[in-house]
Parts: sequence; structure tokens; C-alpha cells
Amino acid sequence: MANVHKDFHGCLSFGLKFLAENYGPAEVEAYLRQVARNVYAPLIRRLRRQGLPALAVHWRRIMTLEDADFRLYADDDVLILEVRECPAISHMKTHSYEIAPNFCESTRIVNDEICRRAGYSASTEYDQALGRCTQRFWRAE
Amino acid sequence: MISCTEFIPAYNELFAFIEERHGRQELIRFWEELADEFLYNLRDLVAEKGLAGMHEYWTHTLTEEGADQTMTLSEDEFRIEMHKCPSVGILKQSKHITPFPDYCEHCKVLYARVIEPFGFRCEVQVHDVGRCTLRVTKR
Repeated sequence: MANVHKDFHGCLSFGLKFLAENYGPAEVEAYLRQVARNVYAPLIRRLRRQGLPALAVHWRRIMTLEDADFRLYADDDVLILEVRECPAISHMKTHSYEIAPNFCESTRIVNDEICRRAGYSASTEYDQALGRCTQRFWRAE
Repeated sequence: MISCTEFIPAYNELFAFIEERHGRQELIRFWEELADEFLYNLRDLVAEKGLAGMHEYWTHTLTEEGADQTMTLSEDEFRIEMHKCPSVGILKQSKHITPFPDYCEHCKVLYARVIEPFGFRCEVQVHDVGRCTLRVTKR
């Protein structure tokens, strides 16, 4: 079982804010795409080989570890993750950590890079104030 | 969402990214701003309780992180003997990650910057990869 230290969400939020304020949004995006390529390299490989079930295993594990309120299901050939209460946003609100304006955008960018590298596509619709999002994943045409 | 369980590799990438694209001085500035603007929970505990506040802070964080360490607190010293740093352990175990060579440097910058203004001396000695001593004494 992985150790869960949710204050790390606040630290990542601070890092995203630092990058945005000092170097601009293009640098934030470059950093997040680097994270996707390097940190999630094993997930990219699994997604390429096994398809959407690999992503479903990943998200179920993460969301369960973080004690998220979520629903994960497949609709035709699309994997859908509905996060009703984001554990990161919820923890940062509870502990008064500043939530970077681009915090949820990081999910969209990381998902996009992981999927693009594996031959898949992703969309991420979010409401950062409410801590909710819907993420969709499908095989690219 | 980048899970908090995936934070350490993402943090490692952030150090590498800032240094490679903006230089070492900018990376140190990031650590200093992180200390000033993010670590207020540690700062508040040190301000209120001194050495005991440090013990309280790290008892919480290192328990959640699953660290193998020994913490000692006396009237004039607080010490952490880190036997196996959980962050360094994650970086070593993740074969697909290239650890930032000076990853451990951030602890030296962050904690001294928060603690020393309260009349303490804070030293972090890195002995080996994943093993270090944090020692705080009264000035």
C-alpha cells in the first residue's frame, strides 16, 4: 500500500503557481508534459499495449488510495472518470492551502500527453471551484 | 490529477526542469519561496512550540510518508536520524526516473530558512543516498 501524504497536493499547487507567475503558461505546460512523459512512462507503455483497461486500473487505484468520490465506467469505447469530489482540491481547501489557478488544467495537460504518446485521446472538463471533473479517454482515430 | 503518491517523481522533475531551463539560482529561489509561502504549518508550530513544534510537525509528515527514521527531542536539541528517506527511496525504486543529482539539497534550504529566524541553528547532513541527519539546536 502506497503512503498517502495529501499535503503534497498543496506543494504541487505551489510549484504550478511559481512556474506560471515567473515563467508563464507555456513553461507550465512544458513542465507538465515532461512529467507525463517521464513520471508516467510505465503507464504510457501499458496503455499502448493493453488499451483502456490499463488506464482504468490506474485511475481506480489512485482514486481509491486518495479516498475520492468518483465513478469510473466505460461507455461504448470511451472510458469515463467522473470525479464528484476531488481529493486534492478538497484537502487543499480543508487545510487552507492556496490552490493555483491552473491546478485542474494540469490534469488536462498530463492526460493529453499520456494519451497522445500511447495513441489515445483525452478530454478533461472541470470546475475547479467545485472540485469536480469529467475525464474521457478513447483510442485516437 | 497527479496523485500525492506520484508527487515525489513530479517534484524531482520540477527541480530538474527549473535548473535546466532557468538555472540553479532560480531553483534556489523556488525553494526559498516554497519555505516562505508554503511551509507556514511548520513555521507556526516552531513559533508556538519551538523544538517541540518541530517534533510535532515531522511526527505527522514522516508517519504519513512512511519514513524509517529515529526522532529525538530534548530541551535544547531536536534531531532526526533518517535511516531510509521515503522520497529518495521512491526515486531509487522508480527505474524510469532519473533522480535530480542534488535532490537532497532542498531540505537544507527549506528547513533552515523556516527554523533559523526563531533563534535556532538547523543543519542537514547528507551521509549517503537516502540517509541524513537533521539537527536543530538553540543558538
